[in-house]
Amino acid sequence: MTYVVTDNCIQCKYTDCVDVCPVDCFYEGPNFLVINPDECIDCDDCVEACPAGAIFNEDDLPDDKIQFLQLNEELAQVWPQITDQKEPLPDAKKWDGVAGKLEHLIRKALEN
Amino acid sequence: MALKERYTPSKKETQFLDTVQNGKYDRDIITGLKKFMEGTVPQDMHGFYTQDELNAVKALDGTTRDVQARMPVKITRHYFEQAKNSKAIQTLVKASPKETYDLDGAEDPGKQMTYSPVEGLIHKYELGLIYVASTCSAHCRFCYREELIAKKKIVREDGTVAPKGLAQIKDIVEYITEHNHLVDENGGRHPETNRERLREILMSGGDPMVLGNKNIAQWLSALAQAGIENIRIGTKELAFHPKRFDETFFAMLDSFHEAYPRVNLRMMVHFNHPDEALLKNPDGNYITDPSGGLTWHPDTLAAVQAFGQRAWINMDNQSPIIAGINDDSNALRILQREMKHNGIENHYFFCGRDIVGHKAFNVPIERAWQILNESQKGLSGVEAHARLSITHYKGKTEVAAVTNVPFPGVKGGENGVVIFKLIRSVADAPDRCKVTIVGRNSEAIWFSGYDDRVIMDEAELYAMYEIPTLSAIAAE
Repeated sequence: MTYVVTDNCIQCKYTDCVDVCPVDCFYEGPNFLVINPDECIDCDDCVEACPAGAIFNEDDLPDDKIQFLQLNEELAQVWPQITDQKEPLPDAKKWDGVAGKLEHLIRKALEN
Repeated sequence: MALKERYTPSKKETQFLDTVQNGKYDRDIITGLKKFMEGTVPQDMHGFYTQDELNAVKALDGTTRDVQARMPVKITRHYFEQAKNSKAIQTLVKASPKETYDLDGAEDPGKQMTYSPVEGLIHKYELGLIYVASTCSAHCRFCYREELIAKKKIVREDGTVAPKGLAQIKDIVEYITEHNHLVDENGGRHPETNRERLREILMSGGDPMVLGNKNIAQWLSALAQAGIENIRIGTKELAFHPKRFDETFFAMLDSFHEAYPRVNLRMMVHFNHPDEALLKNPDGNYITDPSGGLTWHPDTLAAVQAFGQRAWINMDNQSPIIAGINDDSNALRILQREMKHNGIENHYFFCGRDIVGHKAFNVPIERAWQILNESQKGLSGVEAHARLSITHYKGKTEVAAVTNVPFPGVKGGENGVVIFKLIRSVADAPDRCKVTIVGRNSEAIWFSGYDDRVIMDEAELYAMYEIPTLSAIAAE
């Protein structure tokens, strides 16, 4: 099993989850984070930590977010690992809760 | 937003940390019962729960007797393989409605929050216990760290209510440094608590071994740098996923030892039953190893042997005695023999705590003592080091003896007496090895079961609650 980051992280990227994750299983894109399902140990700590409420237990994923399970797995293979918390994206507050954010997802890997 | 101020490792720590690699682990964890209910677990796991068992647990979801909310259900592939052939292990890891039939008991009988000066630290004895992870690879149903693992809100000393947080390196290092500084300034004792230096830290949780090597390494070097001489890691990972102890992990340890050669590592391992470590033949019997002892699972044995090759690392096993799991003197005899044979010291067996949601697991104190005593018949002296411990508010206590000779004239005395020995008190040890003698009560699961039959109380286990001895009552 695993936990899954879903659409409300997009354009916010608060990274509080990164700070609490005991196994550093978050991977970072330009405007979204994902969990590597092979590394997640199901501790549940990130769910409470996420200010945007974007993280779900795989078993609790709402039907309209099922696609994020595969998206997390896929992007965790191409994005770099993130181990330290950083500032959220500048307009995080504005974007929190906005519908249909998936269309704004940038899949390109972050440049180092 | 203010980012949390992080601990800054010294140059020496950084040099060590730069050598550390994380490994990859396929624990194949199944969390929760949903996949069992939907039949989406791997084919061979389908029969692990019967439909009736699943229905019985599901019926309690969302009620005051919710078993899954009490402790999330979690199992690794490795542990499932061992559990397939073991009723004891199944009882340990499978959710059961029995867990919440009887919700009597205390919230926090060890009064742990009293001894928590910093978030995530319990300071008792010369030992500090730190919570570094809030989960394990699989979950023991009898776990008493459920408030941490199931994220329950607890009442703090100051009356506030919040979930238990994990220890942060920066906070812990500052606390250790400050405590030891005060002790040194004051001639070896803390001016207020009379405690000695903090020499030893137990990394606990949850299970520290769910953390990656880099994370564990940060703790090890920070603690060593802060002057800690002995670091314990409390883990059940040898039973849950022994492949976690891989080359990358031991490379990290070797590198740590090179940087801090005088710091010892004490692996506090947790086997409850020999079925967790041993292989069985198709008849369900253990397999004699022609080269000595019984045959272990190769992955578990490899990990134990890798620890054993490193002289600076000790291994100690501790286990509670739990109803339906290891309240069996034959199983405990084999466990103690096999542990010692493979270099693991038998440290403590524990009486289960009298905590809410634990009645199904409690073995009465006198019964637990008898089981352990029986198990140690036929063991050699070095194999039989383990004592039965029960944690009193005052300190760690041993159930030293249960007699069968009548002690007339006192309640319960017609069956004999129980002798408790205070091993040490929480801050210091002025009362070390003082004893308390009570009349027997075969149903008692905690000290309170003897409140009305205290014969002699040198250790003041009862006097501290103003519970008098029988002779004091008679004199009135």
